[in-house]
This record gives sequence, structure tokens and C-alpha cells, in this order.
Amino acid sequence: MLELSLFFILALFTLGGSITMVVSFQPLFSAFGFLIAMLGLAGLFALLNNQFLALAQIMVSVGAVVILSMLTIMTVNAQVQNLPKEPHKFIWLILSSFLVAPITVLIYTQLNTLPATLKGAETITAKVIGNALFTDWVFPFEIVSILLLTAMVGAIVIGRKHLLDTKACS
Amino acid sequence: MSAHLFFLLVALLFSIGLVGVISRRNLFVVYMSVELMLSAITLLFATLSQTLNSANASVMSLLTIAIIAAEAALFLAMIIHLYRINRTLDSEQCTSLKQEAL
Repeated sequence: MLELSLFFILALFTLGGSITMVVSFQPLFSAFGFLIAMLGLAGLFALLNNQFLALAQIMVSVGAVVILSMLTIMTVNAQVQNLPKEPHKFIWLILSSFLVAPITVLIYTQLNTLPATLKGAETITAKVIGNALFTDWVFPFEIVSILLLTAMVGAIVIGRKHLLDTKACS
Repeated sequence: MSAHLFFLLVALLFSIGLVGVISRRNLFVVYMSVELMLSAITLLFATLSQTLNSANASVMSLLTIAIIAAEAALFLAMIIHLYRINRTLDSEQCTSLKQEAL
């Protein structure tokens, strides 16, 4: 019973944060909604006996990604006239919700064919993840490290100033 | 407590992200919606690691979190670059690959 109520509180946080993120006009409010959604997601990981993932979620998604997006939003410092004007935003949101609803039902029905009893026998700690990561998952781990390096180099190259001469976007 | 609730939450989160990508024009909101869709996949993997009782799904979830970080770095650099050129955050202004009207 405690688990169920915790789940509903965390799900409320996650869904409320993500809806705030999609709906709000100012990007900084969106980033706050995203922050709340990521915190709720970390709580859900902890509810799933996944200690290490909860910590990684808080460190990477909350500590790095959200803070980086907030820093970027404040660096860009777009005024109201530079934000896109979306006069029919809510109409589009409702319309696309109707469009996406069949996809939601499809995903849910497909996921329900998977085994659904939560065993909860083993707490996934850093030791368990480390054992799996450095025995069976070495090759994907190396690929992800190369991907991160490439993303870092790419971000530095894209962020340089003299790229402005090449008009990427009219 | 069964995993059906988690599956429902995954479907809802993914759909909210999809709605954000489809209907909003602010580049930051589009970026955060993509992140939300990836996070929904992470939650799905974490749920599967409990239902299948194996750590492999957790490792996949961890690798997905790394991909989220890489995507964030690239996307934010692109947003800054586009803002320097266009002085706007409107994704409608990025039309250099658009086909001319016949």
C-alpha cells in the first residue's frame, strides 16, 4: 500500500512536470518542469529497487543535463520578441494529443504482453551493475565512451564563433 | 504492485514527449521533449530489469542515460549556433533545407 501511494505521488510529479514542460511559454519554466519530471523519475527508479540508476539519474539528468539547459537558456537570454509566437498553441496541443493517443494505446497494449510481476528480489547496486558492465557489456560501454567523446568534440566545433560565416540556416 | 502501472506511465511520458515535438516551435521545448522520450525508455528498461530479475536491462538503462548526456551537449550547442544566426528560437525559421514551391 505504501509502495502504491509512493508510486502515485511520484507519477504525479513526473506527469505534472512534463505537462508543464510542454505547455509553458517561457523556456525557463519548461526547464523547471523538466527538472521536476527528472526528480520524479529518479524516485521511480528508487522505488524499483534500482539504487544505482536513481543516483545516476540524479547526477546526470538532474545535476548535469537540466543545469546545462538552464545555463544555456540564461546565456541565450532570449527576449519575448525572440521567442516563437504560437497564437494557436493550445489548439495544436489538443489536436496533436488526439493524433498521438492511438500511439499511446498501441504502446501500452504492446507493453502489457511482457511479464508484469515485479519480483523485487535483488537490489541493483553499483556492484551488480559493475559486474555486468565489465563482463558482458564491455563492447557497448566502449562504443558509448567513443560516442561521448565525439559529442564533446562536435559540441565544441559547433559552438565556435567563426562558423557564423557558413550560413547553416537562412 | 504490478508493472502495468509503470508501463502505463512509460506510454504516457513517451506520448507527452511526442506531443511536445510535434506541436511546439520553441527549440528548447523540442529539445526537452526529446529528452523526455529517452527518459521514458530508461524507465521502461529499469522496470524490465525488475520483472525479468536481471541486471542487463539496468545496464542498458545506464547506457541510455549516457546517450541522453551526449544528446544534450550536441543539441544545446546547435541551439546556441542557430540563435546566433537567426536571433530567434523559432524552429520555423530553419528553412535552408526546405524545398522550393513547384
